[in-house]
Amino acid sequence: MSQPCFRMKGTTLTSIVLEVVSFEPDEFESQLAEKIASAPLFFTRSSLILHLNAPLSATEFELLVALCRRHDLQPMAIKGVTEGLKSTINDLGMADISQSKISEKPLAENKPVEASVSQSQQAPAEAPAQVETVTHTVEVVKPAKIVARPVRSGQQVYAEGSDLVILGAVSEGAEILADGNIHVYGTLRGRALAGVKGNEQARIFCQNMEAELVSIAGRFVMQENIQNKCWKKPAQAYLDADALLIEALS
Amino acid sequence: MAKIIVVTSGKGGVGKTTSSAAIATGLALAGHKTVVIDFDVGLRNLDLIMGCERRVVYDFVNVINKEATLNQALIKDKRTNNLYILPASQTRDKDALTMEGVQKVLDDLSKDYDFIICDSPAGIEQGAQMALYFADEAIVVTNPEVSSVRDSDRILGILQSKSMRAEKGQSVKEHLLLTRYNPERVATAEMLSVADVEEILAVPLLGVIPESEAVLKASNQGAPVILDTESNAGKAYSDAVKRLLGEEVPHRFLDVEKKGFFKRLLGGK
Ligand SMILES: Nc1ncnc2c1ncn2[C@@H]1O[C@H](COP(=O)(O)OP(=O)(O)O)[C@@H](O)[C@H]1O
Ligand SMILES: [Mg+2]
Repeated sequence: MSQPCFRMKGTTLTSIVLEVVSFEPDEFESQLAEKIASAPLFFTRSSLILHLNAPLSATEFELLVALCRRHDLQPMAIKGVTEGLKSTINDLGMADISQSKISEKPLAENKPVEASVSQSQQAPAEAPAQVETVTHTVEVVKPAKIVARPVRSGQQVYAEGSDLVILGAVSEGAEILADGNIHVYGTLRGRALAGVKGNEQARIFCQNMEAELVSIAGRFVMQENIQNKCWKKPAQAYLDADALLIEALS
Repeated sequence: MAKIIVVTSGKGGVGKTTSSAAIATGLALAGHKTVVIDFDVGLRNLDLIMGCERRVVYDFVNVINKEATLNQALIKDKRTNNLYILPASQTRDKDALTMEGVQKVLDDLSKDYDFIICDSPAGIEQGAQMALYFADEAIVVTNPEVSSVRDSDRILGILQSKSMRAEKGQSVKEHLLLTRYNPERVATAEMLSVADVEEILAVPLLGVIPESEAVLKASNQGAPVILDTESNAGKAYSDAVKRLLGEEVPHRFLDVEKKGFFKRLLGGK
């Protein structure tokens, strides 16, 4: 049986929706530049969904996309009034998602906060610099699942939506799974699968590597390919550009 | 209230019945009123090892089916005071035991006894799970070989997930009893060492019983091997019982016996 060349996975992605109320190129660009300057790190290389409230000609639309890209935004999809833009959208390599359901929340715009300008006395005594703080909600991390007993042959432990910490050993014939990272403070003799829902950043750490199988985000390594690396040593497993690496922790 | 101890292993033929008989006898010898129950319905082995097979009239299943009272079925041991046997039936099928029936018997015995020793059948299925369900403590009998260790590991997992104590969020106290230990074969790496098994199972070691001809002799005579106080196996079981009762006793018979000067001279075994 040959190895599969690809896997299909579902994902959700947080991105910014830029609602275009009206488009006058110069005015648009200066407002955009100002907005980005207020929180450069937040906007840089953000993937963007353009939401057109007004009809644009193909040329205007091309210009709009070019302006966004000039300011390091990455428009990838478009919705709203897209009539007459079909081929342009295709040519620009974007997707028309007018039909898809997406939920939007306004980015909370807090009251302007006064920034303390202390380092420069040359700053003119005009209006103090105003900084707009942009807040966006971040999911609170679910606490790790901690297992204080050894995981025995025939048992399975799954940490859904979190890291998994095993304080004892994981026997041959046992299986431990986590959506996040896995830590084993005893000997890992069974199977360990981290990032089972596709998290490629997930890692596996263990105090003593004797695993039957180690897997991250669907990619796996079997025992015969672990034995010649860091067998019976403290080790970690992680993905590096699609390759599952296992190395000794020193 | 009696302490209920299951003698279990997963794998068959590792020495559960031999150990149940020896440990029950040892506890009784130490003055504790003890009953040993044969859960191996269909095989009926314990009464042979205890030497009371000819005195079996009623059995465990009769009691559960209310065909006999507990007192009619219990056999008082002839040699050892304080010791009783509840035999299994040879003729019934494995499903003859019910959870409610077993619970009732154990509840009744708990009032009168200090220790209830449950000799489990092999396997990890219903029969074995019934034997361990009500246990407070478990003696996991293991031979120093990979397949036996693996099965013990499985039964330990079941003990901590499917027993009554586990269901209540409590734990069952675990003891490892390594039996049929042969230091010569450990030295030649044909068998796992005590350290290997302890490392894999991570359960406190109750005892190491050497492979011994005394065990076969004892079962032929129908006298638990612990009564053979001259034999290494008998001594090792006595030590294990003391540890079960909380005494600290050093382990023995772990190393290859050095032949004495005269034996070496004569080339004897
Ligand atoms: N320490 C020992 N030395 C030698 N033979 C043993 C020892 N322990 C058990 N045996 C033998 O192993 C066989 C299985 O023992 P048994 O107690 O019936 O196991 P189980 O109840 O686990 O099936 C029996 O023939 C018994 O005599
Ligand atoms: Mg038996």
